[in-house]
Amino acid sequence: MTCHKTEFLITEYLEADLSGRQRSILEQHLRECAYCRQELGAAQQTQAQLRTWQDETVPHWNRVPESLLKPGKPRRISGFFGWQWAPLAVSFVLALAVLTNVRISNTSDGLVVAFGGDAGVSEAVLLEQMARFEGQQRLQQEERMQTLTVRMEQRQDAANVQLIESVVSQFGETTSRSLEQVIAYFEEQRQQDLQVLQSSYQQLADSDYQTIRSVQQLATYVQYQAGSR
Amino acid sequence: MKQDEALIGDALSGSARAWEVLVKRYETRVYNFSLRLMGNQTDAFDLMQEVFLGVFRNLHRFRGESLFTTWMFRIAHNKAVDMNRRRRLFNEHDLYAQQDAEDDADPLDQLTADLPLQDPAAVLSEQRSNRDINRFLSALSWDQRLIVELKVFQSHTFDEIAELQDIPANTAKTRFYTALKKLKDLMEQEHDMS
Repeated sequence: MTCHKTEFLITEYLEADLSGRQRSILEQHLRECAYCRQELGAAQQTQAQLRTWQDETVPHWNRVPESLLKPGKPRRISGFFGWQWAPLAVSFVLALAVLTNVRISNTSDGLVVAFGGDAGVSEAVLLEQMARFEGQQRLQQEERMQTLTVRMEQRQDAANVQLIESVVSQFGETTSRSLEQVIAYFEEQRQQDLQVLQSSYQQLADSDYQTIRSVQQLATYVQYQAGSR
Repeated sequence: MKQDEALIGDALSGSARAWEVLVKRYETRVYNFSLRLMGNQTDAFDLMQEVFLGVFRNLHRFRGESLFTTWMFRIAHNKAVDMNRRRRLFNEHDLYAQQDAEDDADPLDQLTADLPLQDPAAVLSEQRSNRDINRFLSALSWDQRLIVELKVFQSHTFDEIAELQDIPANTAKTRFYTALKKLKDLMEQEHDMS
């Protein structure tokens, strides 16, 4: 047995601010409908069980914010123009300056603020700068490769010593056959190291060339912008 | 005893004491609200702190058009919804995470220097009862748990809940009725098993 009014009745009945008239209509239905009576009883019991909740005490904590604890400092509750917006504002201004290509120069007329690219920058100057940049990159790349090679060699030496110690301790004595095997193993390891080194070098070179290409594209764009003005 | 409005005025003028009195007046309600919603002490404590921080930051916006508690629990509701969303995003809302949070809770945090010592037996039985209720509540969906909290524990009307949650009042009623039925079933099952 069910009743299509149950949900409505229960939710209305549990509402605290029911008027007397509304309540009497609901009670009239309850007298006539055993199912709703039973469901309402169960709902009230469930609510009552939930309300046996005993308030738990709050663990110790620092209730007063630090801004209230500083003596003599006028308290300012953060508003829209609070200091927390300052970094965002500075970032915005800087981004705007970069986008509009702002230049500030100190001339005989005083400080001059200019927007947009400098049309006076010639292609030759740009190319010269690019060549210089490329040279620097190559130098840095070589230095990094040297460091990488030294580190690889050191690591390999350490691994070789470890391997010899392990072989000697395992066989007790170094027979000519085991020495041959060790030498063959070393050779194989060296070949593998060379391959690793080559691939590392290639990756490094690729990454640097990519940087150079990006800078070149940027330079071309700047040049184009300058030319279009 | 100073009224809330007077304490708010003093706190806005920089009185740490007034703010502390205001917080002490309501922290138990907010903490237990958080405990029922979040299901564990660690998250409940975090939520309570977030609520009071939010109240503090927005205190100058309180115009006294509603009761301070109504205004504060509106903030509490929003913070709880935010925290639940964050928890769901980070996939922390599972039973294991809740159990871990319970296990990781520092027992020293339970010391309450502000209150006189209670009877240990009473404390134990109280916690068991609350634990049972929390277990039942955690079987509900987040929306159902929230509506049970607002209706049963905060005694809101369905119209108030509808406005707070931006849903039609009838949806709130159906959601509450479904939650209540589910809780009733769970309680009956537990009773039958025992």
